[in-house]
Amino acid sequence: MDNILSVLIFFPAIAGLLGFVIDKNSIRAYGISVAAVEFALSLFLWATFDGTSAAMQFVELIPIVPDFGISYYVAVDGISLFLVIMATLMTLIGIISMSVKNEIKNMVITLLFLEMTMVGVFVSLDVIVFYLFWELSLVPMLYIIGAWGGPLRVYAAIKFFLYTFTGSLIMLVGILFLAFTYYDIVGVWSFALTDWYQLKMGVNVQLWLFAAFFIGFAIKVPMFPFHTWLPYAHGQAPTIGSVILAAVLLKMGTYGFVRFSLPLFPDASVIMIVPIAVIAIIMIIYTAMVAYAQEDIKQVIAYSSVSHMGIIMLGAFAMNTQGISGSIFQMLAHGIVSGAMFMLVGMIYDRRHTKLMSEFGGLALVMPRYAMIFGIMLMASVGLPLTIGFVGEFLVLIGFYKVSPILTILAGASIIVGAVYMLSLFKKTFFGEVTNEENKKLLDIDARETFSLVPLVLIVVWLGVYPTPILKPIDVSVSSMLELMEAKAVKPKTKELIASMRSEDKEEN
Amino acid sequence: MENLVYIALFAPFVSSLFALMFVMVPKQTFVGIVASLLLFISFLASATLAYHIAMTNEVIHVTMMDWIVVGDLSIPFGFVADHVSVTMMVVVSLVSTVVHIYSIGYMDHDRSFNRFFSYLSAFVFSMMVLVMSDNFAGLFIGWEGVGVCSWLLIGFWYHKKDVTRDINPSISPSWAANEAFIMNRIADLGMLVGIFIIFWNTGSLQYDEVFPKLAELSPVVLITAAIALFIGAMGKSAQFPLHTWLTDAMEGPTPVSALIHAATMVTAGVFLVIRANPLFGMEEVAGVSYFIASLGTFVAFFAASMALVNRDLKRIIAFSTLSQLGYMFAAAGLGAYWIALFHLAAHAFFKALLFLGAGNVMHAMHDELDIFKMGALRKKMRWTWLYMGLASFALAGIPPLAGFFSKDAIIESAFNEGSLILWAMLVITAGMTAFYSFRQVFLTFHGDARYKEFGIHPHEMYTYVLIGMSPLAILAAIAGFGKDWFEGFITNLLPEYEMSEHTHHLASILGAIVLAFAVGGILLAAFKYIKGLKRSEKTENSFIYRLLSNQYYIPQLYAEMISKPYAELSSIFWKSIDMKIVDATVDAIANVVYKSGDGSRKMQSGNLSNYLAWMVFGAVALLIAALISSAIG
Repeated sequence: MDNILSVLIFFPAIAGLLGFVIDKNSIRAYGISVAAVEFALSLFLWATFDGTSAAMQFVELIPIVPDFGISYYVAVDGISLFLVIMATLMTLIGIISMSVKNEIKNMVITLLFLEMTMVGVFVSLDVIVFYLFWELSLVPMLYIIGAWGGPLRVYAAIKFFLYTFTGSLIMLVGILFLAFTYYDIVGVWSFALTDWYQLKMGVNVQLWLFAAFFIGFAIKVPMFPFHTWLPYAHGQAPTIGSVILAAVLLKMGTYGFVRFSLPLFPDASVIMIVPIAVIAIIMIIYTAMVAYAQEDIKQVIAYSSVSHMGIIMLGAFAMNTQGISGSIFQMLAHGIVSGAMFMLVGMIYDRRHTKLMSEFGGLALVMPRYAMIFGIMLMASVGLPLTIGFVGEFLVLIGFYKVSPILTILAGASIIVGAVYMLSLFKKTFFGEVTNEENKKLLDIDARETFSLVPLVLIVVWLGVYPTPILKPIDVSVSSMLELMEAKAVKPKTKELIASMRSEDKEEN
Repeated sequence: MENLVYIALFAPFVSSLFALMFVMVPKQTFVGIVASLLLFISFLASATLAYHIAMTNEVIHVTMMDWIVVGDLSIPFGFVADHVSVTMMVVVSLVSTVVHIYSIGYMDHDRSFNRFFSYLSAFVFSMMVLVMSDNFAGLFIGWEGVGVCSWLLIGFWYHKKDVTRDINPSISPSWAANEAFIMNRIADLGMLVGIFIIFWNTGSLQYDEVFPKLAELSPVVLITAAIALFIGAMGKSAQFPLHTWLTDAMEGPTPVSALIHAATMVTAGVFLVIRANPLFGMEEVAGVSYFIASLGTFVAFFAASMALVNRDLKRIIAFSTLSQLGYMFAAAGLGAYWIALFHLAAHAFFKALLFLGAGNVMHAMHDELDIFKMGALRKKMRWTWLYMGLASFALAGIPPLAGFFSKDAIIESAFNEGSLILWAMLVITAGMTAFYSFRQVFLTFHGDARYKEFGIHPHEMYTYVLIGMSPLAILAAIAGFGKDWFEGFITNLLPEYEMSEHTHHLASILGAIVLAFAVGGILLAAFKYIKGLKRSEKTENSFIYRLLSNQYYIPQLYAEMISKPYAELSSIFWKSIDMKIVDATVDAIANVVYKSGDGSRKMQSGNLSNYLAWMVFGAVALLIAALISSAIG
């Protein structure tokens, strides 16, 4: 299977096109089958992936516009592999758990197209192709929010689209400028990321380019203060939209930082450590407090996403393998946990058509299974050891401690403020007496819902207890990326800093 | 021997999973029996290990598998059975076996009987991980695990609704559970920071690699590490100012209070200081250790003072736990690690017994906890009276019971260190301890039968439960005689603690002083309460009484100074900053773009002369731009 990546990218899209001729009563089964095959393919990719090698694997390279060095260039390494698997997994589970009834055919086809763009973003190494998939991913999500969303759906969808699109355009300017710089220095055109990795640029140029990419990625993540589209998008999106948005689409931003900003602009990245860390800490603490103030369960989870993305950002700029590997692991952890959380909120919304905490209370009595799974996901979200949520958070904090103890202690407040909003949410919703008559006859989760949640619970525990299968390939790729950064940094201070982050340094502190 | 380590560790885990399978079905008595048996197996394995270690001095170290390996950070699931951990294992598994058996009787009418056993065994498993891990990260797994189980068990009766503080100072089980979890999390951050410091300065988290390297580190690093770890210990062991959660934790079922909030989990902080004694015992961190001893002494006194006036049976015992934890920290801070561990073990036995006795009383009194509504129960509950009396004598430090030996040694070491203030406070606290313990015993079991007014018909606990409690009673009575043997055993690993010649010389006088205070406290309690309850309006309205009975108004202070401002600030952040400033700015920018487009659309008027005018305007603008750019160069 030399072209497995192309199959992974285009199979869902082609299957989606064929979906137009499928009867709408069987479209769901069709969608599940396609997503299952896609997921199996991604597992096959993992099985044949060489976890001990940092090299790009399963490379496919087909020139498209040779004069400008644009080609269809895809590959995976330890950093992207698991994001691909998570994208296919969450699509599969999302379709299984989906409760949308109207226009279900369009929904399934949209999701399959979205899956193509997500896989495409994570495996593209040609920047133009990457950009195509990056922008294409906006369209299905725009449609999902705009067509199946709540009362404010049009506002939320347009806000989501325009905001992220504006950011991407600025990034596009950066991409073109970088390509030109490459041409200027090397003499040939290339949009291959691996070529760009070899390019040494002056610190000033790096800083400008860093800024251009930063805006594109930061809005996507979303970083404070660019995050306000997210609560609207989540507030209006149907469950499936929120699941994919939180689990996968946001990760495109943090993935961008790791894949582009760090190795392309090492000096600029090192200069920006403290500013980024400050923003990350604001995200962690400020949005956690905003989450605590929410009245709507889904909004709590939405803001908690921003808070967790703060941890991911912090780790990405720790400049050591603990921090960056932790950051990537946390992307996966957050994908699984927030995806499950949004599914859980969707289940209660399907039953009661409200998400306000004040409408609930005592749900643990009427829906014990639901409460138990919610409780497990809650504990993963607050980073309990032996759940998936701990590993990433711990690695990020221990990694960043090397950079700055003070900032790490501030960021570590995450384990406190996270517990505050989550436990308060749990108490208001699940504990106490069942005061609302309508809640007394609520049914516990049914077979389909259980079937979509249990795999996520198992992953949460499995990767919490035994993260090695995933951490190891990530570690290998991240280490090699750090070596690359050190090698191509132009300022001696940058080299020194990256080197000092790697080994233990007894003088420090 | 390695298998025994795994059996001791995983038997409670199996028990928890077993009970979990029945969590959706109504009460099954065999779930409790199987769980108790598995816990007993864990105890047998621990005891065999202890015997083996005592005989051979061989430390058993097993590494199960890797947990987190990234870069040069490598954390395995490794477990060690050495003198310290095996002591803890025996104590934990023994007390939990008794508590499991007890719970079969105590929880027999509870519809969530099976769920209770699942949580309780999960707690024991976490506690075993905590004490057996061979590295700081593994300890942290157990540390957080016991925190979650504590959360689940304090909030076990989650269906109870919130009430105001006047009716129930703990508000509700679920409130108390969240308070405990969050307060512990604050301390856990300190613990994590300690772990980070250790890792980046020694390159490892394994005890056996970290401790030998400590000598190479600078004093600043050592002191920060010690402070950070101790902050973690303060949370779990409920030391001031993170102490309020412990009394509120009494909302949990009483077996939980006995096991978690008296005998085992709350001693985890003390255990951490003992485990990290190579760090805390260093010259460089002597200041931190002395602070630990001073804080411990303060908490011992402070908690005892609140117990003096409390009317709630369980809260009195909880305050006494707090106070005894203070004693343990005093000993550990003074370098008498083995004495701290000895008191920890002795305390586990008599305090668990005391709590389980209180559970019997609650069972008999239909969950009434106010000792002012009890009295004369000894006629109805002879065995419980005997047990609680025995435990109270042990707690008060009356020879030859366990508490006498351990507490006396702590007070003696305070004298030995020349810290006369600490010594005096600990002696006075010993008197207070005796007073409040027997105030509670007399008000509960002696005097007039006040419960009759409330139409309660008390009855003794089931016989098998009373039999089940007997191991604790025996140990509370005789454990003190094992002191010399224990010293010989444990000082293979922990540093010895030698009393100076001077102290040795005065030992009997010092002991007599402590004893005099203890007996004085008991006599005072007898004088005031043995005949019955005589309430005095004047005393109860006095400032001191109200201050003490309101826990120095600290819970109210926290509510007003921390919880409320946090909630208000959160609300301001959301409504005023996030919505009104951040988001409004985004929308404003979008509106400007939209409006400017809307406005400039009017240029497309279709009028040719207008277009010409705009063209001229544009040409001039370009010209100016060209001029400026050429001027700049």
